[in-house]
Amino acid sequence: MAGRVEWPTIDGPLGLSHQDSVAYARRFFNFGFLCLPFLWAVNCFYFWPVLRHPNSHQSHPEIRRYVVGSAIGFLVFAVILSSWSLTFMIGGNRLFGQVWDKLVMYNVADRYGLTGLF
Amino acid sequence: MDQNRKPRSILETLGEELVRIITPVSICMLLVVILVTVLNTHSEGSSIGPSFTTIATIAYSESSSDSIWDKLKGALLNSLVFVAVITVVTFLLVLLFYFRCTKFLKYYMGFSSFLVLGFMGGEIALFLIRDFGFPVDCVTFVIILFNFTVVGVFAVFMSKMAIFVTQAYLVVIGMLVAYWFTLLPEWTTWVLLVAMALYDLAAVLLPGGPLKLLVELAISRDEDIPALVYEARPVINSDSSPTGDVLQRRVWTERRNTGSALDENSDARPNFNPNTSPVTNSNTTPGTYLSVGSGENEINLVNAEEGQVFRGDSELAAPLIQHRINVRMNSEEDASPSENFALEGIGLGSSGAIKLGLGDFIFYSVLVGRAAMYDFMTVYACYLAIIAGLGATLILLAFCRKALPALPVSIMLGCKSMPSLPPGMAKTWPKPELKLGHTGPNCKDLRPA
Repeated sequence: MAGRVEWPTIDGPLGLSHQDSVAYARRFFNFGFLCLPFLWAVNCFYFWPVLRHPNSHQSHPEIRRYVVGSAIGFLVFAVILSSWSLTFMIGGNRLFGQVWDKLVMYNVADRYGLTGLF
Repeated sequence: MDQNRKPRSILETLGEELVRIITPVSICMLLVVILVTVLNTHSEGSSIGPSFTTIATIAYSESSSDSIWDKLKGALLNSLVFVAVITVVTFLLVLLFYFRCTKFLKYYMGFSSFLVLGFMGGEIALFLIRDFGFPVDCVTFVIILFNFTVVGVFAVFMSKMAIFVTQAYLVVIGMLVAYWFTLLPEWTTWVLLVAMALYDLAAVLLPGGPLKLLVELAISRDEDIPALVYEARPVINSDSSPTGDVLQRRVWTERRNTGSALDENSDARPNFNPNTSPVTNSNTTPGTYLSVGSGENEINLVNAEEGQVFRGDSELAAPLIQHRINVRMNSEEDASPSENFALEGIGLGSSGAIKLGLGDFIFYSVLVGRAAMYDFMTVYACYLAIIAGLGATLILLAFCRKALPALPVSIMLGCKSMPSLPPGMAKTWPKPELKLGHTGPNCKDLRPA
């Protein structure tokens, strides 16, 4: 069966078996909703073979569903976050005015003395 | 599918295993050196030193106006306090392990990784942001830090995360703690390194040593130590596994009993070496130790998970590496109360993959990071010394087949390759030639007039 994914995880034979993969994929997907897009990215990375092979929606339908969901979620979140962040960085004082100085990280760190914790 | 029976020489496979453990150690050291150079040059005068009190400086706070003798005394006092705290913590670990509080230890490990990644990582990121004036806003910063920390805790906590992610996070944790240690005063750092190396030696080799107890306990119970241990990816002999079956990470064990070895029982492992003792799990015991064992801990879990996926017994005729050395991770007490790292040590996992304790990463990087405060030739010399020490320890391990400390040889070689001058004066004196057979030009000739 050409294109059948041998191992669902990127670790190959060292990774999870097919049965465990579903549980893990689902767990990563659900936890990612707690404002953890990086977990979605790790999910995609971990199950990269499933994502890569278009035939896997026959052999691993459940895993593929979660992994594709994670990929979409991560992309959406990344787009939103990077657009906000880039606007902030590039816009700077001109765009935001006073608020920029209040929000920028090094000022926040100085204001709350965050760099003196240890 | 016909098996391609191209036998790989022991040199190839062993060499690859060594590379797979030396690479992360080198990466950790490189990152610490980069951090030290970047952060120290930017904040030339304003050091974090003065108000930096931790367990390691509780007895004596070094100031530049003290005489050398005072500094030495103070450093010795500091190191004594530190080693004493570590010893107590290690014995506590042994006790907890003895009473089978494995869950508690695992949670503690997760919690300490959270502290290291979240607080130390965040603080170092703030230093970098401030020094470079990177205009990131606090919302983005908090989100990214939160993600980074939580995924790191998962990686350390869960046994079956992507290997690369787990390894990367362990290296990052080692780097953060090592950078933190380089912030200690100069004399304290050097004396502390030597003290930890000696402690390691004592804890692993002496009969009453906590690490030795831990190893024996784990071996007798055939359990894994839930500790922060870096495990290199094992070299898989592709023609030695039955197709379609999940490989345990213990591919590299020789099958002694081919008959009934393939038990679905979780105790049956392909790597059955009746002479080896199980590896103990020790969460956070400082000290390094190498122990020879048939380390089944992980395999037990894996077996339980994957159940009956085994097939052919006879195909798992993997050679060699009989010694399982358990690496212990080092656990250190620093300012944050719950730094619980595993013991230091070098070991071979029952899969034959080399395991190295995170404490080793940390102290090697501390030595190199300190050297980076002088100049780069020193860094290079120390790096070579440490790698040579690591190699020597591994060879010794292969011969001794029992728990061995991984710190002493490297630290001693590393300290020897420092310029033999009182610290602080190093910059003003010409550097001696590298002592490792390196035939480069004498540094003296390259110094500006």
